[in-house]
Formats: sequence, C-alpha cells, structure tokens
Amino acid sequence: MTTTEQQGEAVKVTRKKFLKILTSVTIGGAIFGNLYMLLRSIRPNVLYEPLKKMLIGKPKKYPEGQVFLPKERMFVIRKGNEFNTVSAVCTHLGCTVKEVKLAKPEKITLPDGRVIVQEWEYHCPCHGSKFRGDGTAYAGPAPEDLPPFDMKIAPDGDILVDAGKKVDKDFRLKV
Amino acid sequence: MSRSRKTSRSIFWSWSPASGREATQAVGFNILLHWFPAKITDRSRSWGYSAWLGTISLLLFAILAITGVILMFVYVPSVERAYHTIKDVEFVVSYGWFIRRMHRWAAHLMVACVFLHMIRVFLTGAYKKSRKNIHGNRPLNWLIGLALLLLTMLLSYTGYLLPWDQLALWAITIGANIARSVPVIGEQIRFLMQGGTIIDQNTLIIWYTLHIAVLPLITTGLIAWHMWRIRKDGGLAAIENIPVEEVKGDAIPGKTYTLMGITQGVRPTVLYHRIKDKTGLFVPTTLHRIGIVLLFTTAVVMFLSLFFSVPLEEAASLEWTPNPAKAPWYFLWLQELVTITTVRVRGITLNGGFVGGVVIPGLLVLLAAVWPYLDRSPDSTVGVWLPRKRVIQNTVFLLIIIAIGVLIFIGSVLRGPNWGIYMPWEAWPHHPTMI
Repeated sequence: MTTTEQQGEAVKVTRKKFLKILTSVTIGGAIFGNLYMLLRSIRPNVLYEPLKKMLIGKPKKYPEGQVFLPKERMFVIRKGNEFNTVSAVCTHLGCTVKEVKLAKPEKITLPDGRVIVQEWEYHCPCHGSKFRGDGTAYAGPAPEDLPPFDMKIAPDGDILVDAGKKVDKDFRLKV
Repeated sequence: MSRSRKTSRSIFWSWSPASGREATQAVGFNILLHWFPAKITDRSRSWGYSAWLGTISLLLFAILAITGVILMFVYVPSVERAYHTIKDVEFVVSYGWFIRRMHRWAAHLMVACVFLHMIRVFLTGAYKKSRKNIHGNRPLNWLIGLALLLLTMLLSYTGYLLPWDQLALWAITIGANIARSVPVIGEQIRFLMQGGTIIDQNTLIIWYTLHIAVLPLITTGLIAWHMWRIRKDGGLAAIENIPVEEVKGDAIPGKTYTLMGITQGVRPTVLYHRIKDKTGLFVPTTLHRIGIVLLFTTAVVMFLSLFFSVPLEEAASLEWTPNPAKAPWYFLWLQELVTITTVRVRGITLNGGFVGGVVIPGLLVLLAAVWPYLDRSPDSTVGVWLPRKRVIQNTVFLLIIIAIGVLIFIGSVLRGPNWGIYMPWEAWPHHPTMI
C-alpha cells in the first residue's frame, strides 16, 4: 500500500478525485452552457407582427349595417351614429366566421335575459358553430362568444380599434 | 468501481465492462465503436505525425452543422429579407452574434485545416500505394480528399453569399463572370449558376439550397467514405514503414470473425506479422486523445468568437461596387492570379478570368489528382515525414504552397483601391477616383 492510498483512506477527496470532479463540472458546464445558448437563440426577442391597434378609416366611410374587414378579421357594425365591432375569429379553433343575413329581423332572448333584434348571424364553416348578431355563441363547439373590441377616434379622425382589448357587448362608439 | 460510476453506467450500459480491455472488446458488439479499430499503433496516434488535422476538420464540420442549423431558424433566403435577418442575428437574437461568429470562424478554420491536412498527407507520402498493402488503395482516398477540399471551398463560397451584403453580391458577380470565360459553354454555366441572366432571388435560393442541403449531404457521405477507406487501407500510412519483426517460419495464423464466418459456420484465418511498435487500445488511449482534440477545437473556436468579430458589409446594392472588392483570404490567391494573367500584348488581351480563374486552378487540381499515379518514389517513403528520396517533389510542392501563400499575402495586405499596390505605410486615397 502506497502512502497516497493510505492518505486517500483518511481524506474523503483525493487530489485525483478533485481534479476529476473539477474537469467533469467544467466540461458539463460548457456543454450545458452551449446547449442553452443554442436553444435560447431560437426563441424570438422581437416580433415583427402587425399591431393589435388598427386604424380602420373614417366613420363616414361606413354605411348603415355591418362591414366585414378581412385583413383585420372583424365586423364593423354601424347603427346611426353608433359603432361597435365583433371579432370574426371563431372561438373554437380560429376559422373566420361567415355573415349570414336573415330573411327578416328576428327578436332573440339571450340566455342572460337580454333581448336583441338581429338582422344577421355568424356561422362558422369549419365545425358548424353558430353565433348571434352580437357574438353570443348558441350552437356548435364554440366555447365562448365572439368578443367585441374597444374603439375610439384617433387624433386624425380615423376609427382606432384595439383588438387586444375586449369590451362589453353593449359598448358603442358614439360619433 | 465507485457507486456513482456504477449508477451512471447502469443507466447507459446494458452490461458493464470490468476493464479497459473488455471495453475495447465491446468494439465488436457496437456499431459506433466500430468506427475506430480496437488497437492503433502509437505512431498513428502521435501528435507529431498527423497533428490530428483530419479529426479537427471533422469536428469543425460538426460545429458548422450545429451552428448552421440554429442560424437556419432565423435566416430567410429572400433578397429583401436576408440582410435584415443577419442584422437580427447580430443585434436582436439572444447569443446570435456569438453563434454567427462561431459559424464563420469554424468555416475559416476548416478551410485552413483541410488545406494543412492535404499538405501533411502529401509531405508524408501517405497518398501513395505501397506494394505490401495489397488491399489498400490510398490514391483513391487522396482523390476523395481532394473532392472534400473542393467541397469545403464550395461550402464556404455558398455560405458567404447568404447574407446578401456587398461582399456576397460582388463575389457571385465575379465568380459567375469567371465561369462565363470558359469557352463555348461559359454562358450556359453562368446562366445555371445565377438561375437566370441577372443575380436576383433565383440566385440566392439556388446557393442557399446548395449550402444547407446538397453540399453538406455530399460532404457527409464523402467524409464517411474517406474514413472507411482508412480502415480498408489498414490504418494511417504511418504504419506502412514500421519495421516488421521476422517471425520464425511462416507468418502467424490467427482467428478472425466475419459475418460470413458466423452465418456459415466457417472461420477464416488470417496470417499476421508482429509489428515493432507499441499499440494502444482504443479505450482509453485513442478515445482520450479524441476528447482532447474535441476540447481544444471547440475552445479555439469559442475563444476566437468571443474576442474577434466577423464582418458584415453594407446591404447588397448593384449601384456601387466596394473599392477594393476583395474575396475572402482563401480565394485571394485566385483573385491575384486573375490579375496577373490579365495581360495586354500588342492589342490582344489575355483573358485573366479564364487563365487565372479556370485554367491554372484547374491544372493544379488535375496535377494533384494524377500525382499519386505518377509518383515514382520508393515504398520506404510512405508514412514518413520529409524523406530524402522525395526531396524534389516535396520541395516543388512546398514552393507551390508558398507561392499561393505569397499571393494571398499580396492580395490581403498590399492591394488597395482600384487594385493598385499600396505598401502598408502608404495611405489609401479617401475618395478613389479613376486615373
């Protein structure tokens, strides 16, 4: 038995073992560090997506009734001097719903007690979800109602819709 | 064996070898470990023989593949967007600047390493067929190596075109025009290279696909073949001239196991001689060295990437050409050749693009390709550093290499605006004008 081995029995960590631990930790750290760098770099820091706040033109451009804006994926509804928007993105799996004009205006009593008169409905072509004119889901797999978005008038007179901010169904922008 | 060692081994190993010898014998049961032989002579493994340049080149290729795939998550091969994605990599993507630098540095190092590797193989005569080695075909491996050299340069060329900066745009322009200088089919070649008559989106997508898919696939296949050929040739050329111990009577018969032997119940025997050199088992001696090479290669690439930046010129614009417009260092010797061979004699202009860009490099490659078959030096010079009997060809070879080095030096240090010669102490004019 050599002196080193005798000493190794007394001391828990020998020089050899210490260096082995040091090497493993360093190399392990280097591998882990590199892997982290390589994978973290794929996650975007900056998004080049269109903004949620959108300018959709002057109020006088919109006729009475509703208009579908395909790029913004929403319906803009005008009643006299009052505006509101309904999202056209089906809450089930994201298809764009279709406007269905009714033969004559209908009076509907909604589950929460409110009564509305609607001239059109929204039907989703993908899985058959159906929504009332104010966005309330009443048939099909859609879990939630089509949300209305916040609106205001921008300084230059255009209507500014904030698709990131939902409002009540009775919200109206008065012009 | 310690408990922690036993635990980690029990996770990864279905059986645990009790010793290095047993671990080495696992070579026979493991496809990955079949890559390397169970035993290598000390001479083959030595730093002084090969400097492990082949392994280093392979590791650099692996680094390039990994960093390259990561860059593919951000880069867009569109003429409108490519430049901006590179700028994003530099300034927006987390660690993007570092990953891009590693990619660029590994690329430059790989070009240098494969070149140095070729020089080593030539100077040690390792490309030669030796009469004793009946089943070997080292000249074939030399040809595969040459192909890999060309592929490395092509990969590098297609790579620096992708940022679509000024360097990229004008490098393709010059390259395509040199291709055009080939008689008869030149215009067709240029049309194919550009994907049209102008350098535009078609060009970019062609070079991008070549760079990320076609060329790496071919290169990987050739690397595999190249390494397989080493095994088929019996190992590195270093073993060819190790003295063989005279065995009393016949050579020693020994057992060997082959797939045919196992399936047909026949066990062929081989005759072997004992060689006078120390050998080491793959585990741990060779594996240990591979680990060291891996660590050092990675460390050098990362060190360079931490402290030295890589260039990105202005966005590609056909409206102006950088003055001077210089190719990367490994092509500067070609650029110099083109300059030197553009000669005007009594009204006749010698097309430097063709002579310096196609003919001379073509002849050099051709000469390198046939040299193993023209070489008449004796077998005793295989696997030996700078032997006496090859002094002439080694000298000529080194002179060619030095000439290339001088041309690279001139092109990088002494050339200024309008490709004029400017000594290092001479200032370049601020606004170069046509004289």
